[in-house]
This record gives sequence, structure tokens and C-alpha cells, in this order.
Amino acid sequence: MIKKQLILKDPLKFLNSSETQAAATGSFGAVIARPGIGKTAFLVQMALRAMLTDKKVLHVSVQDPVDKVNLWYIELFQKLTASFPADQQAGLWEELLTRRFIMTFEIESFGFEKLQHRVTELKTQNVFVPDMIIIDGLAIDAAIYPKLHRLKSFAGENAINFWFSVGRHAREAFDVLDVADEFGDEFSAIFDQILGMVPEKTRILVKQYTTGQTNAKERTVVGLDPSTMLVQEENSLSPE
Amino acid sequence: MNTDIQKVRNIGISAHIDSGKTTLTERILFMTRRIHRIHEVRGKDGVGATMDSMELEKERGITIASAATYCQWGDHEVNIIDTPGHVDFTIEVERALRVLDGAILVLCAVGGVQSQSITVDQQMKRYRVPCIAFVNKCDRSGADPFRVITQLREKLHHNAVALQIPIGQEAGFEGVIDLISMKAVYFDGDYGDAVRIEAIPADLLDLAREKRDILIDAATMFSDELTEAVLEETEITERLLMSAVRTGTLKREITPVLMGSAYKNKGIQTLLDAVTHFLPSPMDVSNIAMDIDDPEKQIILSGKADDPLVALAFKLEDGHYGQLSYIRLYQGMLKKGDVAVNMRNRQKIKVGRIVRMHADQMEDVERISAGYIGAFFGIDCSSGDTFAAPGLNLSMTSMFVPEPVISLAIKPVNLQSEKNMAKALSRFTKEDPTFRAFTNEETNETIISGMGELHLEIYLERMKREYQSDIISGEPRVAYRETISARSEFDYTHKKQTGGSGQYGRISGYLEPAPDQDFIFENKVTGGSIPTQFIPACEKGFKACLEKGPYMKYPVTGIKVVINDGASHTVDSSDIAFQAAARGSFQQGYVKASPILLEPIMKVVVETPGEFQGNVMGSMNQRRGIIIGAHDVGYTTVIEARVPLAEMFGYATVLRSLTQGKAQFTMEFDAYKQVPKSVLDKLREKEEKKAKTGS
Repeated sequence: MIKKQLILKDPLKFLNSSETQAAATGSFGAVIARPGIGKTAFLVQMALRAMLTDKKVLHVSVQDPVDKVNLWYIELFQKLTASFPADQQAGLWEELLTRRFIMTFEIESFGFEKLQHRVTELKTQNVFVPDMIIIDGLAIDAAIYPKLHRLKSFAGENAINFWFSVGRHAREAFDVLDVADEFGDEFSAIFDQILGMVPEKTRILVKQYTTGQTNAKERTVVGLDPSTMLVQEENSLSPE
Repeated sequence: MNTDIQKVRNIGISAHIDSGKTTLTERILFMTRRIHRIHEVRGKDGVGATMDSMELEKERGITIASAATYCQWGDHEVNIIDTPGHVDFTIEVERALRVLDGAILVLCAVGGVQSQSITVDQQMKRYRVPCIAFVNKCDRSGADPFRVITQLREKLHHNAVALQIPIGQEAGFEGVIDLISMKAVYFDGDYGDAVRIEAIPADLLDLAREKRDILIDAATMFSDELTEAVLEETEITERLLMSAVRTGTLKREITPVLMGSAYKNKGIQTLLDAVTHFLPSPMDVSNIAMDIDDPEKQIILSGKADDPLVALAFKLEDGHYGQLSYIRLYQGMLKKGDVAVNMRNRQKIKVGRIVRMHADQMEDVERISAGYIGAFFGIDCSSGDTFAAPGLNLSMTSMFVPEPVISLAIKPVNLQSEKNMAKALSRFTKEDPTFRAFTNEETNETIISGMGELHLEIYLERMKREYQSDIISGEPRVAYRETISARSEFDYTHKKQTGGSGQYGRISGYLEPAPDQDFIFENKVTGGSIPTQFIPACEKGFKACLEKGPYMKYPVTGIKVVINDGASHTVDSSDIAFQAAARGSFQQGYVKASPILLEPIMKVVVETPGEFQGNVMGSMNQRRGIIIGAHDVGYTTVIEARVPLAEMFGYATVLRSLTQGKAQFTMEFDAYKQVPKSVLDKLREKEEKKAKTGS
């Protein structure tokens, strides 16, 4: 029951709508924000939502150790389910745990080939077959675009959706994000789904950028409450 | 005996298995002239290292019991507690840390910070023990002390700073450069006992300067005087730098890192210098005791020798002359003939012989005073007992004792063995609170329980060797528990009228789950429907049912019993009648309250070379494990999982064959979780079969 209710009030439902083809398997998504805005919190909630709908999530972090990533999940899960009885919470958590796998790398030992190898191995050993892979903390820039292209064909073959956290430099304007300007056209070609997190006064707006067309469009899809780090429907955010 | 408390160091040596801490202790004792020959842990001379006093430890090459010993370095007195490195003996590590003022964290220059180091480090954090790090095995191929420093920073979040840099690498390791005095230190002679100090070799000068700058930079946080000297570019004296590093170390905000190779006798003297320079004396740390009547109230002990006595017995050993109790004095003085009170049972004891220990040799002393570690004879006590002067009402903070998770049935082969076994068990259970022994009344078997397979195995072997007790042991058994998952009501009448005086009692109320608690009893009876004098009998009756749950005959936990009504009879009601009624009520309510079976889940950490990580994860998966994550560090992968203990028997062997012996694992208790249906059915089948064949 708790599961149904959580799915029902999921503010991230828009990701599955037919309008955006994010649900298509083998797609790439990017969450762009400056450091400290809450990319990890957002991605972890995305993972939790996926896990609620029986999807398996592999969370790859090249910045935090396993325990810290796990803590993100525990905290956000507890906040999400705070209104439910403790035993239901615990039961659901046990269930969700089986659908999550955290893999962390030291930055110098990370490589896409290695990751692909690991994923294949997990599959052949029948340990874990992910539907979604989150890659958090990796520097995404033009240098690795060729590698991303190769990874994307791997994603297609294995029907895995990838989500990346993409950091912005501090020098970029704080509250404006121009994807094409900052990351170039090839970026838009690789990522099917681009979300940007932009602070606006005391709240954080998550905007969806539609690219590929001549004139880039943006629209605010959800918000993030900086005090709880929880994703919320945009209109339920506390107004100014 | 040294009487200047400022010159006393009570230290421990903690580390991962096989990072060489027993060898290091051995070398320290040699350098301080406490022993005159060096025996290797797994040496060819068959004598074994001095600290590994038990025969079994010598054979296995691991340290089990933490022997305390003392030695002299310069004008300082150093008491060393050798602590076990295996996680199955964690209680001993924790107990040792409680009585230490400082510690040396030994790390392997090749292996770096391994999972066990993390456990040990957490324990040090819990007891706020300041530490210095010693990067051992710098002579081994693949050694990289600076990588270990990085790991100390990243994995353990220590502000680790090198005080030394190595001269020569791997097999060419010759000595160290001291970054404080900026001198090269070589260790000559067969046992490295001739220290030769020279100028820094020209090719290392730049590196030394660079690392010294890092050291100074870190140290300025703790001394304004030093900061000034840096800013004004005046000379930075050794004294200034040392005192800043010491301040940081005592606050646990800086971890000085030393280097060497215990096996090759290099870096031992400089390490001892660092112990005396940077680790705290008993006066530098404040120890807290608890008021027995008000556990919330904390009392800071003065540490002065002329205040009333407060001491903690932290380890027991069976010596040739009776029970030897290791004690640490926190306050006051203990003299021969003194009277002290064991705060646990308020028994007065008269102190007979007092000794100081050196592994298994001892020397008699007249007295010990605050801050020192010693031992006394012939006093009956358990580990963790506090001794205080008459009139005090204090206890040293109770130590965290985990519940045992695994048990084993044992049977002596003959009468002599049975006698010896009883002796051995009574001693082991006193020494080690995580080791328990009891008799199963139904099967008349003796059951021992503990923290893991190895834990019990070691005790079985010790019984054989030290007590000549031949024992047959059964299969290890998991300590299952049962509990309820729903609320249910009961209303039960106990009535018996078969000649003589009758029995009558009625109890009604409800049961409900109480997670994280053992048992709660609440009396909500109003209007005297159950007379007050029978309420304790009701509680007793319910409590008696907890030992063996009606569901699967395992101990019951996490249950709350509330009684709210009942009835009594003026003549026929009695304590016995209400106890029986409580048992009946419990049975009645329990079956309706959806009972479930819980099993211990272990946190398992495997360190394996990257190429085997798939196999290892597969093996976890087969064992109903949930893999929390995998962390890649260079060529090794650290896999963390939660696995039911029932599936972990014999895993050491499996892991060895899966990884060509290149992986290692540690395991500790995590939580109790519900047993899945499919496993439960199998378990039931097995029990039924056993019951049939058994009868």
C-alpha cells in the first residue's frame, strides 16, 4: 500500500510521460547543476522512484565511499516515507535494498570499459541486472564524448537507462543555464534528456531542456526543497 | 618504578591481521631490553614471539589474548597492551582500548588501510584514543608509505601527516629521514640496535623539505607560536614543532605517521621516541566514571594518586597461582594489604600480591598508583569489574557487549574431560563476556555461544590444550530468535480442582510487538480484579515463556505484554496459579499474533583482487546476501554485503578456493532480520526430522 501511494504522488512522473521519450531503454539523461545544489539528492530520489516500480538501479559514484552513498538513500527514503508506520517503512526498505547496487571507484581507477566489464560480469554471475545506472561525480566534458558514444551503444544493447550528474563551473552565471552555450551541440546529441537545477531565491527549480531543435526550449518541471532535499511538485513549493 | 606520572605511557598496538603488530611488539621489547632474544611469530626456533604467550597463538600465528607488559624507554615507562587483530575477538580490542591512553595504529605499507583497520579505528574513535600511525613492512615489494597516508586521510578521515620519509624503497629500504630534526636515521647492527644519525642524502633533500613544509603547515593549526615563526620566517625549533604536533595528536586532530620495518629492525627506536613525545600520559586524558545510582551522572576522575581508589579489571588470566586480574588504576593507589570494594557485587576484597606483567613472566611490586597498569592475584572477579575505595559509589563506564550469534553443542568424552571442561568454561566466560556457556536442560547438552565460527573454534582448542579436555562438538547453530508481528488479545482462565487445594486465576490483556526491546510488561489492571500481590507472579509467568517460544522453540524477543483485567478466587488463587495462567495466556495470545522467526544478519566485508570480484559477488548472492556495494581501490575491490549467518559457515574455505587464497574477509553482527518463508520451511523440515530421529 505504501508503495502504491508513493508511486501515485511521485513528482517525477513526468519523466515517464510519452512526451519525453525518457522511458525508452538505452537512453542517456543528464542532471546539470553547480556543486552543492543537490544533484546527488535528486539522482538518489530518481533511483528510489525507479526501485519502487521494480526497476533495478546500479549507483556508480566516483566521489563518495559506499557508506556515504548508502546514507543518502537511507536519509531520503526516511524522509519520503516519514508519514507511514515504521514497520511498513522497514519492510519496503528491505524490499528496495535488493534492487540497488552501489559501486564506487577511486577516480583514477574508473573507466567506462571497466564499468561495462563489471556490469557484464554481474549479469553473467546473475548477481544483479540493472535497468538503470546512475553515474555520479564524474567530470563530463568534450574529452570523454567519444567514450560516451560507445557507452551508449552498450546501453542500447543491454536496455539500460543511464543518468549522469554533470557539474557546472562556479564561474557560470548562478541562476541561468544555457545548455547549448555551455556544453555544446554534441552534448545535446548524446543526452536524450537534460535537466538543470537552478537556484531561485530560497528554492531550487528543476528545468527540463528540450534540445535538438533550432531554438532551445526550457520549462520548469519540479522543484527541490533545499531544507529537506526532497523533490516536490513545482506548485507545492513554498512561494516567495 | 617510575613515579613521575608525566613519563608514563599506556599504549596499545592495534592493526589488521598480519600487518605485523606482534613482531613490532617483540622488537619494542627487545630495543627496551626487556627481552634479550628475538623470536619470530612464525619463527624457525619454535619459541614464538614473547607476547604470544598461549601455545595456540604460536601455532596459528595470531594473537588472541591481549597480554599487558611494560618496558622502559629513556626515562619513560611504557605499558603495552598487545591487542588481537581478528574481528572475532573484537571485545578484547574494545576492552584494551578502554584502559589505554594512546595507541599505535600499525598499517601495512603494501596493504594499506584494510577493512579491519577501519573497525579498529572506529573503536578508537568511540573511546577517543589519540593515536600515531606506524607504516610497517616498508621493505616489502610494492610498499608505498605515502599511498597509506592518503588512505588514512580518505578512508579513515585522519589528518595524517608524515613525520618521516623512507630512505630507499622496498628491498633497498635503509632507514628514515626525521622531518622534525631534518636528519637521516640509519639502523645498523644485526638487530638494528645501533642508531646512526647523518645528514640527509642529497637526492632526498628536496622531498624532505617538501614533506616538512606539509608537516609544518598542518602543525600551525595547533600553535600560535609556530604560526608566528612561520610568518616571520624565523627559525622553527624542534621543540616548537614537536609541541604543536603533540597538541594536535592529543586532540585527535592530527595523526603523525612514522615508518619502518619491524621485521628488519628498522624504525623501532624512532617509533618509541614518538610514543614518548606525542602520545598522552595518564594525566593528559580525563577519564570518566559513572555514578552507580544515577548512570546519567558522569564523574571526572582526578587521576591523582592521593585521591580514593578507582580501578578497572580489564582482563583475567588463569596463572599458575590462581586467577590473575589485570587492572588499570584511574585514581588513587593500591598497596598490598589494602581493602577495596568490587562495585558489581559490593564485596570487600583484601589485596594480596600485586605484580607487573611481562607477557607470562611477572615481577612483584609493593604498590601501583593512578595511571598505571598492573595485576593482582587470588581475587575473584570478572572482566569489566570496577574496584573502588570503600565509600565510593562509582563504576567505570560499562563497556558495550554484543550478544552472541552462534552456538555449538559440546560433549566431553570422559569424566576427567568433563571436570576440566567445567573449569575451562568457568574461566573463559569470566574472561570474555561475548563467550557464554550453559546447559540445555532438555537435551542435557552443554552449549557454548560466541561471536563467530573462529571464536568458538579457538576456545575448543584451548580447552583441549590448556585443560586436557577431550571434547566432541556438534554442528554450529545459529542463534535464531522469534518475535510477534501483530497485536493480539488473550483471556485465559487457569482452573484446577482435583483434590486438595484448587488453583484459580484468570488474566486478560494483549500482546504487541516491541521492536528493539527484549520484553516489556505493563500492568493496567484496575479495580483489583487481579490482587496486587499476584501481579509479580503474572510477570514471572510471562517471562518464563520467553526462553522458548511456542512458534519454533527459540528465545522470544521484542514483545510487550499488557494485562488489563482478570479474576481471582479468595481461596484457590495463589502465585503458582497466576504463573500458570500467565503461561496459558501467553500461549493463547502468541499463536494469534503472527509469530515470525528472526535470524542474525552479518555485515561481511571481502577484500579481493579485482579479477575475482565477480566470483566473490556470486558467492554472496548464493548465500542469500544483499550486496550493499563494491568499492574499487587500485587493483583491489572491497565488497560489502549483508549475509545471514546461517549461510556463512565454512565461508573462509569457499573464499580461499574462489580466489586462489588472495582474498580475505571480516564479519561482524549487524542486525536480526526475519527469515524468509522458503528458508523457514526448510528449517522446519530439518527440525522435525531431528526431533524424530532424536526421539
